[in-house]
Amino acid sequence: MRSHSLTTTSLLVVIAASLAVSVSAQTTVKLDSNSFGAIEARHIGPAVTSGRIAAIDGVASDPRILYAGSAGGGLWKSINAGTTFKPVFDKYTQSIGAVTVDQAHPDTVWVGTGETWTRNSVSVGTGIYKTTDGGDTWKMMGLEDSERIARIVVDPKNSDVVYVAATGHLWNSNEQRGVYKTTDGGKTWQRVLFVDKDTGCSDVAVDPQETNIVYAGMWQFRRSPYFFTSGGPGSGFYKSTDAGKTWKKLTRDMPEGELGRIAIAVAPSRPNLVYAIIEAKKTALYRSEDLGESWTKMSASPSVTGRPFYFARILVDPKDYNRLYKPDFNVGVSTDGGQSFTQRGGRAHGDYHTVWVNPQDTFQVYVGTDGGVYQSNDKANTFRFCSNIPVGQFYHVSFDMEQPYNVYGGLQDNGSWMGPSQSPSGIENKDWRNVGFGDGFHVWADQLDRDIVYSEFQGGNVLRFHKSTGEAKWIKPLERQGEPKYRFNWNTALGLSPTNKKVIYIGAQFLFRSTDKGESWERISNDLTTNDPEKQKQEESGGLSLDNSNAENHCTIVAVAESPLEEKTIWAGTDDGNLQLTRDGGKTWANTVGNIQGLPKNTWCTSVEPSRFDRATAYVTFDGHQTGDMKVYVFKTTDYGKTWKPLASDAIKGYAHVVREDRVDRDLLFVGTEFGLFVSIDGGAQWAQFTGNLPPVAVRDIAIHPRDNDLILATHGRGILIIDDITPLRQLSSKILDSTAYVMDSRPSPITIPIGAQDFPGDGDFVGSNPPESATITYYLKDRHVFGDLKIEVYNAEGKLMSTLPAGKRKGINRVQWFMRQKPPKVPPSPNLAGPALFGPMVPEGVYTVKLIKDKETFTGQVKVVADPKSVHSAADRALQQQTMRKLYDMTERLAFIDSVVTDARDKAKDRAKKLDSADAVAKDLEAFADKLDALHKTLVATKEGAITGEEQLRERIVELYGWVSQYGGRPTQSLLDRIPVLEKEIDAKDSEFQAMIAKDLAGVNAKLADKKLDQIKVMTKEEYDKKQEK
Amino acid sequence: MIRRLLTLTLSLAFLFCVQASAQTVDDLIKKNIEAHGGVQKLKAVKTMKASGKITPQGLEIPITLQQKRPGMVRMDATFQGKSLVQAYDGETGWKIDPFQGNPDPEKVAGDDLKDLEEQADLDGPLVDYKQKGHTVELIGKEDMEGTPVYKLKLTLKNGDVRNIYIDAENYLELKITSKRKTPGGEIDVDQYMGNYKSVNGLMFPFSIDTRVKGQSVNQITIDKIEMDVPVDDAIFKMPAKPAEKPKTEEKKPPARD
Repeated sequence: MRSHSLTTTSLLVVIAASLAVSVSAQTTVKLDSNSFGAIEARHIGPAVTSGRIAAIDGVASDPRILYAGSAGGGLWKSINAGTTFKPVFDKYTQSIGAVTVDQAHPDTVWVGTGETWTRNSVSVGTGIYKTTDGGDTWKMMGLEDSERIARIVVDPKNSDVVYVAATGHLWNSNEQRGVYKTTDGGKTWQRVLFVDKDTGCSDVAVDPQETNIVYAGMWQFRRSPYFFTSGGPGSGFYKSTDAGKTWKKLTRDMPEGELGRIAIAVAPSRPNLVYAIIEAKKTALYRSEDLGESWTKMSASPSVTGRPFYFARILVDPKDYNRLYKPDFNVGVSTDGGQSFTQRGGRAHGDYHTVWVNPQDTFQVYVGTDGGVYQSNDKANTFRFCSNIPVGQFYHVSFDMEQPYNVYGGLQDNGSWMGPSQSPSGIENKDWRNVGFGDGFHVWADQLDRDIVYSEFQGGNVLRFHKSTGEAKWIKPLERQGEPKYRFNWNTALGLSPTNKKVIYIGAQFLFRSTDKGESWERISNDLTTNDPEKQKQEESGGLSLDNSNAENHCTIVAVAESPLEEKTIWAGTDDGNLQLTRDGGKTWANTVGNIQGLPKNTWCTSVEPSRFDRATAYVTFDGHQTGDMKVYVFKTTDYGKTWKPLASDAIKGYAHVVREDRVDRDLLFVGTEFGLFVSIDGGAQWAQFTGNLPPVAVRDIAIHPRDNDLILATHGRGILIIDDITPLRQLSSKILDSTAYVMDSRPSPITIPIGAQDFPGDGDFVGSNPPESATITYYLKDRHVFGDLKIEVYNAEGKLMSTLPAGKRKGINRVQWFMRQKPPKVPPSPNLAGPALFGPMVPEGVYTVKLIKDKETFTGQVKVVADPKSVHSAADRALQQQTMRKLYDMTERLAFIDSVVTDARDKAKDRAKKLDSADAVAKDLEAFADKLDALHKTLVATKEGAITGEEQLRERIVELYGWVSQYGGRPTQSLLDRIPVLEKEIDAKDSEFQAMIAKDLAGVNAKLADKKLDQIKVMTKEEYDKKQEK
Repeated sequence: MIRRLLTLTLSLAFLFCVQASAQTVDDLIKKNIEAHGGVQKLKAVKTMKASGKITPQGLEIPITLQQKRPGMVRMDATFQGKSLVQAYDGETGWKIDPFQGNPDPEKVAGDDLKDLEEQADLDGPLVDYKQKGHTVELIGKEDMEGTPVYKLKLTLKNGDVRNIYIDAENYLELKITSKRKTPGGEIDVDQYMGNYKSVNGLMFPFSIDTRVKGQSVNQITIDKIEMDVPVDDAIFKMPAKPAEKPKTEEKKPPARD
């Protein structure tokens, strides 16, 4: 609100000010990412289980430095051998295929985006990037359309020469794939090996001694929404002896038939030895002892043959050319040059993708798995988990109504979890609870029974988890007599009713409803899919290596949502492109997808969102990326699906996973895509990416907490993120965007008692951030404030200034924390801090006026301070706590005054004594007087020097109680209440002692001072004290 | 904790880092110095005294900062009647940290000393940076929270790196970033400058917000800046300990309960 007065807060001014805003609105500021300013997401993890790590590389000359590239959560760097990691790629594409350190210049690191472990849920890349400062800054170096990069090799003799295995598009044909080479450090690229538009490069290796020798595995592969093929005529194993100018296809000793994915490794300590895992009808490990000219089949152990599209790395120990590491379901280790493998892994997460061995200490081995990074210090015998890389890939998220609320969600290959939105020492790994296993998807807290959580794992396996006992009951619907086999998607639709708290929905090809916690299911639809038999051949999926893991199940329901306004209106979206609606609770269904203009047939429906403001309105997202269609599809109907309006604009990047309508502001919409979160404040006319502490990670699901007004994001790569209090987004309008400054609304701020928790986990665990425990003051600035004052003043209802706060100055929305505390009590000085008295008491509940002072202008708003809704204490007990705080506060200040008077008189006496000869009798009298005062002072305040003196005087006794009372929001103990008058009497006694001393000695001292023509000693008055304090 | 926060307050000396940048580096640096009032005015300043407060985590601690040519600096932060002092007299860096249980002055070394040396440069590192042995590189023009800025990479003579973000419109510093070693590992410290005001024709930020991982850890608000007021050299010198104790460096520290 805009006003030019420092003092007015009345309603009239508020109204007048609002009018002033509308009058002053002339030009239109467009919504963009900066509009959201300081509104930021907080990352809560978890890292108790991490996420898929696709690539690891380390610095040979300083192996404490390593980089881990994740499937969907960016690149993480450690500078302490894995104790801590930090993300260093947050501005760029989060799916990492390859990371390679230029060992000759270890601050130069290459990153290829787009993972090549091409499972159904894999993300996409946007080319190759390079840093020359160890990851602080990055430059895009091209290959934008490669979609995924499997390997980058820097010529060890010439850092400007780099080879790239561009794997290329997964779901369609493209040109930018094969082996790429630069000879100028990435400025220009040459495609040096290309087979066809359907064949990419799966691995490339360079001989470390004769760097003109290059090996490449070419791979033909393709995925559709319902099928995967690895292998084909395009696949082949190639060798160049002229640094990539010409290539020879290796045919001697190769397996029979078509080939699939190939993994290559040259033994660093004897480079004429080359190892390759070659996928074929009979996949095996091959070894060449003559630079790839001839090959011997070494092993077809399960370590070698498991899932070639998903596990395609072979690594040779840097010092021992017979020691091999083969990531697969476990990590296979061979010590005999590949003739045999033993499986290692123990209690580490399965599904290994990458290995890095410290070349200086080959006992130290790092592996990247579906569950994160593990470190071994005994050559992969035992593993320690790096519990600080929160790159979990959530599919969905929900919440409950506990205080603080919990979030629930399921992770790709890491089970189902619940965790608190807030926890005493931050949200730690130990705060998370596992509520389901396998690949996790939807997880819901029962809306009536606080003990029950529904979770699921791949293929519609729904569990009812009982928190109190940890038991899980399988409640999946089962085929009845005469029914076809139920088809459940990998990511099966599971939902709750917003109108009837008993109802659960699950989607196969039919929609089911349960009202008895999954004990029985009522089928409420016919087959809602296209039921196309051509798309139900997952049993044949995989290509050369059969691979049927539920991931290709198709013709299934993947989105279900009941209208919050009518129980009988239910929407169901299918993976094969149907969008079905019933308005009679499932008796009849109508497919409305045909009414959507501009949507390719059979496009996967990723979400449907019935409006909570209008029963005929719904929003829907579709996603065609699994056919190579990367367009954004967001539509809205206002007539039950008869007509649809497209809402997507060019401002939205990445294929769409979810659309969510706000619960309060019908024009506030959120869309989550593969590249982030997008917000509209005008019903979808304009969109802007939300970038506040939110990397361009896939946002798969969005929930809005109805009580706390938080936006909760399920990211597929960075765990759960929470954007606290979206009240300001609800308020944001073109009018406000055009204002110079505007104080915005925030949710009420509860007065909370800080909770402490003692633990000493070291630095190795991720800790998710808590919401601020302070009040948040929110305001908008049209432009960054640079010149002159910008500050915030907070006034109570009586107009008393409570706090002056420094103000954020950025363009867009700013957030400033007000700690809701009064000034701390004045305490008598001591060598040691009076810790509890560092903080003043909390302010009382009420409405406070906020003034944003911007140079000569003032903008006014409010912040509401309310009682802690979690508090179990009665209003009377809370009031007594506050009164007791106040009492002890006043006692502390009174003691500070008395002590100040005592030490002032002491110092005056000493000062005058100094002016006399030390042998002078008056000087001795003055010293004696000062000593008496000092002795008194030493009973008021602890005066011993030292960190832990344990000394306790009156100050320490009072302040200790002040601290105790401050830490509990209810009634202080009776002992404590009884103690207060005792301490008060002690203060009185000390005061009397001082007065008596003055009465007895001062006149005499002053008379002697007069004789010596020295200034009289006057006892400091309260006024003088107060004046001194103000200074 | 308190000590750590207060150490950060030393960055208050960034106030006087009159730094610049340019479309070419030297052009930008020139414009920046001009935006601050010009090199002549700046170099004419003999002493500076700033007072204000630092507010870490809701606490409010009065601070004063004093600087004097050549290369002397002192900062005092006072609460509960006691002062934390950090100072450098051109040769010796020292501190008094009564809150750690030691009321006596002690020498500082390592990174703490480097900080003091850096902050004792009244002109800031960009003025005459070549003579000082620093190097500056223009990284480019970029967007900082919606404001166009030039990014300069300053490598100090001692090897430490500061990234300086200069407003492309008015050439004043909006942000300076650095890496600091802490017991919990290396952290990136970002300092945002604002509330620029002119004092005797020189432009100073009256507000510095220090953020780590995007979270504000403390804010400095300056109330007053004075120039060429008398400042005694003696305040920068490390005082003799009141009762010089025998050197105990070789001995084991006493056990504590």
